Amino acid sequence: MDFLRNLSTTQQIGALFVVLFGLLSLVTAYAFAQTLREGHGTDDAAEQARHEAHQQEWRRFWSLLKTSWFMATIFWVSWALGDTVATLLFALVAFVALREFITLSPTRRGDHRSLVLAFFVVLPLQFLLVGLRKFDLFTVFIPVYVFLALPAVSALANDPQRFLERNAKLQWGIMVCVYGMSHVPALLLLDFPGHEGRGAFLVFYLVVVVQAGVIAQHLLGQRFPHKPVAPQVSQSFQWLSWLTGIAAGGVAGVLLSFITPFKLGQALGMSLLACLAGSLGHLVMKAIKRDRGITSWGMQGQSVTGAGGLLDRVDALCFAAPVFFHSARWYFGL
Amino acid sequence: MLLSKLMSLFLLTLVRFLTGAQARWYGCPPKAEQRIYFANHQSHADLVMIWAALPQELRSITRPIAARDYWTKTPFRQWITTAVFNAVYVTRQTAPAPPAAAAAAADGGAAAAPPATGAMAGLSALSAAVADAALATAGGPDPVPEALPPEPTPEALRAAVRPDDPLAPLVQALESGDSIVIFPEGTRGHGDEPQPFKSGLYMLARMFPQVVLVPAWINNVQRVMPKGEVVPVPILCSVTFGAPVMLAPGEERRPFLDRARAAVIALRDI
Repeated sequence: MDFLRNLSTTQQIGALFVVLFGLLSLVTAYAFAQTLREGHGTDDAAEQARHEAHQQEWRRFWSLLKTSWFMATIFWVSWALGDTVATLLFALVAFVALREFITLSPTRRGDHRSLVLAFFVVLPLQFLLVGLRKFDLFTVFIPVYVFLALPAVSALANDPQRFLERNAKLQWGIMVCVYGMSHVPALLLLDFPGHEGRGAFLVFYLVVVVQAGVIAQHLLGQRFPHKPVAPQVSQSFQWLSWLTGIAAGGVAGVLLSFITPFKLGQALGMSLLACLAGSLGHLVMKAIKRDRGITSWGMQGQSVTGAGGLLDRVDALCFAAPVFFHSARWYFGL
Repeated sequence: MLLSKLMSLFLLTLVRFLTGAQARWYGCPPKAEQRIYFANHQSHADLVMIWAALPQELRSITRPIAARDYWTKTPFRQWITTAVFNAVYVTRQTAPAPPAAAAAAADGGAAAAPPATGAMAGLSALSAAVADAALATAGGPDPVPEALPPEPTPEALRAAVRPDDPLAPLVQALESGDSIVIFPEGTRGHGDEPQPFKSGLYMLARMFPQVVLVPAWINNVQRVMPKGEVVPVPILCSVTFGAPVMLAPGEERRPFLDRARAAVIALRDI
């Protein structure tokens, strides 16, 4: 530990990424070895079915693993290239996510101008505010000002049909994809006294904790299947696995507390909060997907590769980041 | 030359950034054989969309159709359609239809639209005239009125296309071995369903029996840039290519066109 403390911040962060990518590689190698194993006793129908179910589980696990790789890479790139590039990168992620969201929410001709405003004015402005560290304006810009501006532009298009529904959808898309995502680079730029320039740790902390919670919830839900709470929305959401998932996220948070400005108790509270917000946000996004009759935000399951959308990968983060950011600012008086 | 390459690169990047421009090959692989792609038409951007969705190798041998009056209005549009898209211009304004065409149109029933209305309606009327002329020239010795006229050969049909026929540039492009992209509705549609197809596709299918007819469904483009708007909105679009449609021997014009249209619509829900 002393050796780690004596390293410079940059070296510490570098070491963090080495550990992270090492862990991911180990898990991936293990998973890959598992897929090489052949199913035996294929004559038996029951055995066959069990094998099928097993394969299905592994496919899900692979997708989770891919998400983790994707996130780790994004954070590594964003850290390596500096704050400005990181902010731009997250703006791009928000853009792609919002594009997916809008594609699958039917809009009418009258929405065209508000959509232009959302993509080409609101999104860049929000990330510009983050980059300039105008945190007070950035937290109210979308919920207060854009909240009025978009429906006003929509109203001027002279199309009252399903007006509330259309505007609510657009507002929601912006809140999740732009507002939520913009809190990740904001976290990067948030300076705790005595921890200047170590925002990358905080972002890393948030992502690991949320992802740990989601993965634990998923694995436990499969291992010990219970009755789903809301089967119409999600077959995998169960109270027990949900609670244990959050607890697992809390444990991960405590274990990682040495990279944050938090004390043990604070770290536990913050990570529980982040996990709670992340897992519930994931559930909410699932409900929206069911409403649209889709399983993933990638082009209506049309994609050739079968890969899901980007929004599927980041939705938990989009809900956890604002909660995490605001509670940190409020509690620590930043 | 360099400028058009740069422009093409810029446009590709822009289209991919805004729409993803995903090509989905369902009924056939992307293959360098001579093809006529026929797609639904909802926006002027359809042309750009299908151009961007094709792989690089096919893009260079595939020429999209472009309405002459819209795409030659400014020097820039003209340059971009010629130098970048390598488009084939088609005149939408009709030349005064020859009387034979009118007769053929009346003969063909409700299928042929009045020449002045739809964008490429002239195409249909004139192609009917072409069919007529072809029958007249290649018909052989004095057919009995009740008897079926003998099927004219594709070569005869091609030879009968007059230089002022709107189909002529397409025939020329196909004769030189290129693939083409056409929008058989003629004009941009408003509703969910494409309008009935004009007969240009049928004529081309008869003239070039060896060319593969591939239906395509362009999804979402009208949401990116509705009529009258200037700034495009980022929305994911895709082009779905379906199984090739064949003209059955002796198949009539209307059933074939309806079948082709159904093949395009069927791609919407895949």
